[in-house]
Amino acid sequence: MMSSTEEDFELELRSLPGVLNVGIKHRDNGDVEGVTLVVFGQDPGAVRVIAMQIVSLYYPDAAVLVENVNNVPLSTGGDVPRITLVRADFNQDDGACEVHLSNNGRVGVGRASSGSLIGGAEATLAALRDLGYDIPFYLVEVVNVATVRGWPVIVTLRSHSNDGDRFGIAQSEGDLVAAAKATLDALNRFLSTLKGLE
Amino acid sequence: MTLSSLNSSKPAHEEISEQSYEPWLFQKMLDELGRSELGVGFIYSVLDLLAARYELTDAVVVLVHESFGTQTFRLGHQSVSSSMAAELGNSPGVFCVPDVVPEVECDAVRTACQLSLSLHFARFSAGHDPLTNIANRRTFDSALQTAAVRSARYGWAFTLVLCDLNNFKAVNDSAGHAFGDQLLRQFGFALRLSVRNGDTAARIGGDEFGVILNNAEGNESAGFTDRLRSHLALSGSLIDFTIGTATSPRDSTDPVELYRIADGRLYEKKGVILR
Repeated sequence: MMSSTEEDFELELRSLPGVLNVGIKHRDNGDVEGVTLVVFGQDPGAVRVIAMQIVSLYYPDAAVLVENVNNVPLSTGGDVPRITLVRADFNQDDGACEVHLSNNGRVGVGRASSGSLIGGAEATLAALRDLGYDIPFYLVEVVNVATVRGWPVIVTLRSHSNDGDRFGIAQSEGDLVAAAKATLDALNRFLSTLKGLE
Repeated sequence: MTLSSLNSSKPAHEEISEQSYEPWLFQKMLDELGRSELGVGFIYSVLDLLAARYELTDAVVVLVHESFGTQTFRLGHQSVSSSMAAELGNSPGVFCVPDVVPEVECDAVRTACQLSLSLHFARFSAGHDPLTNIANRRTFDSALQTAAVRSARYGWAFTLVLCDLNNFKAVNDSAGHAFGDQLLRQFGFALRLSVRNGDTAARIGGDEFGVILNNAEGNESAGFTDRLRSHLALSGSLIDFTIGTATSPRDSTDPVELYRIADGRLYEKKGVILR
């Protein structure tokens, strides 16, 4: 029988974006020896950072393993666009940011003036549209999460057809780059279903 | 093990049909619902019961929750492999080895597990502060009441610590609420790292935090404060804080009076700092 502490521990781990499954290995005396998280649709490295934070609060000696399901091949039916973040600038004076994305030699530029965190996500969506993609999602939330090693950013996008939220997570130097990468992470599966633009 | 192998095993209980099914498991689950605080542990208990009843070697329940998305639970707290997770997909259901459990029973298990996960999430949310994930005022008040009753009855000592962030309003106003929220999260996390097992740390107001240090007669609060400052320094936080303490039974065994004393000492110190 699980203690309420262990139940809450597992619930907190399951509340992390992208966590599909939590496996817990116990020692003979009942202590938690190790935790395995199965992660889908998120950067497993970033999820591991946050998971280690939670594990350190409950069972500091327990090992954390992240199994990545992102590698499972998806049927894309054609050329998959490779979109990369080229640069991201933030103007301290007016709070505006500019994100440059590249796809197959083409560059899309997006701008927003809502600070480095929310603006980073908005500018990334604008840059994708500038590249010619129809992105049927809108921004719901951009948050920092406190971890022992920094502040990863989690971006939540909601589809216009209301068929569920997409979460992205990224940790990088500065809020702007992290927010831009987290936005691309949230759209990872959606973008992989699109054909590359001519 | 893959989903194919989960479902391809030869049934060993072919005599069990939906017609002969008796809702023993559902009754057992209802009993459990009445007895325990529901949590994810209930899901593992049900999988254990299912495995014992049908001599299963493996079982997985897949749930879809509006806040958690797809969640899989495997017998014995085992993790699922990548290939198994991919094959299970996003459809809720119960998958057993061997595949002998009547559908009506799988439905009952899935429904009860879904209910359990939802209730656990609701219970956790009701007792925790969503910003910092530490206990909220409701949980704190209840823990303080319990500690005070024990202290009055058995003489067990505990120390109530109230923490207030210094100049938080000014930081919030100048740097924005998003930055203020970051500071609160950072402080909440440092607080969680600083308390011992069995202590309670809670966010009880905007930038006010409360801690109940069990089996502590006052001196232990210095150790707690040192740990808190150390964790804040390690996380690079610039925020400072002031504390006020009251110890039971020395100061009082009444929770309201203890709170008043700790609050008074906190503001006494704040006055010194502000001068």
